[in-house]
Amino acid sequence: MLCKPLLKATIKQNYIVFILILSILMLYLPIIITMYDPATQESLNQVLDMMPKGLIAAMGFSDIGASLVEFIGSYFYGFLILLLPMIYTIIICNRCIASHVDKGSMAYLLSTPNTRGKIAKTQAFFIILSTTIMIGIITLVGIILSNSYFPDLLDLKSFLLLNLGALLLYFAVTGIGFFASCQFNDTKNSLMLGAGLPVVFLVIQMISDVGDKTRFLKYFTLFSLYDTDKIIKGETYIPQFIALISIAVIMYSLAIYQFKKRDLPL
Amino acid sequence: MSIIEIDKLTKDYGDNKGIFDLTFEVKEGEVFGYLGPNGAGKTTTIRHLMGFLTPDKGSSQILGMDSRTRSAHIMKDLGYLPGEIAFFDGMKGFEFLNFMSEMKGLTDTSLRDKLVDMFQLDTRGKIRKMSKGMKQKIGIVCAFMHNPKVLILDEPTSGLDPLMQKTFTDLILEEKSKGKTILMSSHSFEEIERTCDRVAIIRQGQLVALENIHDLRKKRRKTYLVSFDSPSSAVEFKSSGNFHILDVNENTVKLSITGNITELIKALDGYNVIDLDTEKSSLEDIFMHYYSNCPN
Repeated sequence: MLCKPLLKATIKQNYIVFILILSILMLYLPIIITMYDPATQESLNQVLDMMPKGLIAAMGFSDIGASLVEFIGSYFYGFLILLLPMIYTIIICNRCIASHVDKGSMAYLLSTPNTRGKIAKTQAFFIILSTTIMIGIITLVGIILSNSYFPDLLDLKSFLLLNLGALLLYFAVTGIGFFASCQFNDTKNSLMLGAGLPVVFLVIQMISDVGDKTRFLKYFTLFSLYDTDKIIKGETYIPQFIALISIAVIMYSLAIYQFKKRDLPL
Repeated sequence: MSIIEIDKLTKDYGDNKGIFDLTFEVKEGEVFGYLGPNGAGKTTTIRHLMGFLTPDKGSSQILGMDSRTRSAHIMKDLGYLPGEIAFFDGMKGFEFLNFMSEMKGLTDTSLRDKLVDMFQLDTRGKIRKMSKGMKQKIGIVCAFMHNPKVLILDEPTSGLDPLMQKTFTDLILEEKSKGKTILMSSHSFEEIERTCDRVAIIRQGQLVALENIHDLRKKRRKTYLVSFDSPSSAVEFKSSGNFHILDVNENTVKLSITGNITELIKALDGYNVIDLDTEKSSLEDIFMHYYSNCPN
């Protein structure tokens, strides 16, 4: 089903950027968690009240709640989780297919008894697996750190849902990136869609958070489907999660279908 | 039995680019030369054979299997050398060869090691830092290492020095003696004349000739440079008028002959000839009569 030598080579090709991005995330996560102080939470909110509301909101720091999960939810899952792993997924999505086609090394992969479908599925598997591992490590470290600094303060269910949502969001984002990678002949076009669209979504997300006048923009970004406030408060999140999964399934299937079908300039 | 069959293969990229209604076959045990100038459609044809492209019309088959839909099956018995060399980022030579062996499901590496020795390949360096010739050698080892029945080689000797070109020719002859079927493209006649049995010539995407190499040699037009002892001898030789004289420069006469040169040798008897040289002919010269109706 999968092409093991290729999977091995792809892991070897990408583990450094994986570790790099994960390290930056691991740098932020403990800082943010240790910053939480139930007592000073009130005063922090007062400080934030003095800053321009739009600016704070754009960074996803709005409505900093009193509980630990709300605190992590707005500081870490409001913005950092949208930006840093996205850099990783943009790089690997492009590298997995488009870069091989662009450089011509795909000719070597396809001159072996492996079908296009098998090669594309192997690369898709790598993207999904490595993204899951990244979010998984964040989840695990988040739980361990929270419990060692603030025993019994973390709302585990909300925290897990927060991470599940992030993971599903990344399935959808990498779906777009992987489709772009399979669809285009060169890195330039692959990145235009595969990196451009998620970045535009992120910017729209930031602008739509600024105030009521720009609120309507949330209908133009995929990231609206990942609403940390609603997840923590236990409001509706299941339809959003289903939407994200559907987007992921559609984009990955379309990507593999396109890659099997299209002409390759090798 | 034909191993490679191309039937009315057409891929139109517009602007007269592409390939049009190509039909030919390569028989078992044959070394087949595929000649044409740059941009004639050689690589486009090979891309179809490799299953990278879907034809607009027609079809191509290798070992009786459709080359587009069953390419993964075909690859078990096919060795391919791409025209442009590109490998994985940052892999070293031996890492790449190991990787390709695994991808091909190859367990016996004795042939690979033999080829590495044969081409005096140092596989320790990073591929990215290697010279074009070194990369080409890695590509060649990669194409031959799983002992395939069929070989498709896109401009195989580009980047190789003359010594390695000779080694490559020996390799082709050795594989031919084992009964392998080989299709190789080239833009130079010299490159393939020692190894090929038959030659197809393509121009602007259309097949203009499909010939046995011996017949082709007979039709081949070559330019000779004859140096006489004095300019007067040169003029005298020219005025004898039996040859197609291109140019007379002092004591040197430039003439072109198609096929047999017995007449020239007979005519030169009686003159004091200081030097007799052939001018390396370009593909266009060699296939002048195929190309003569070319608008360019």
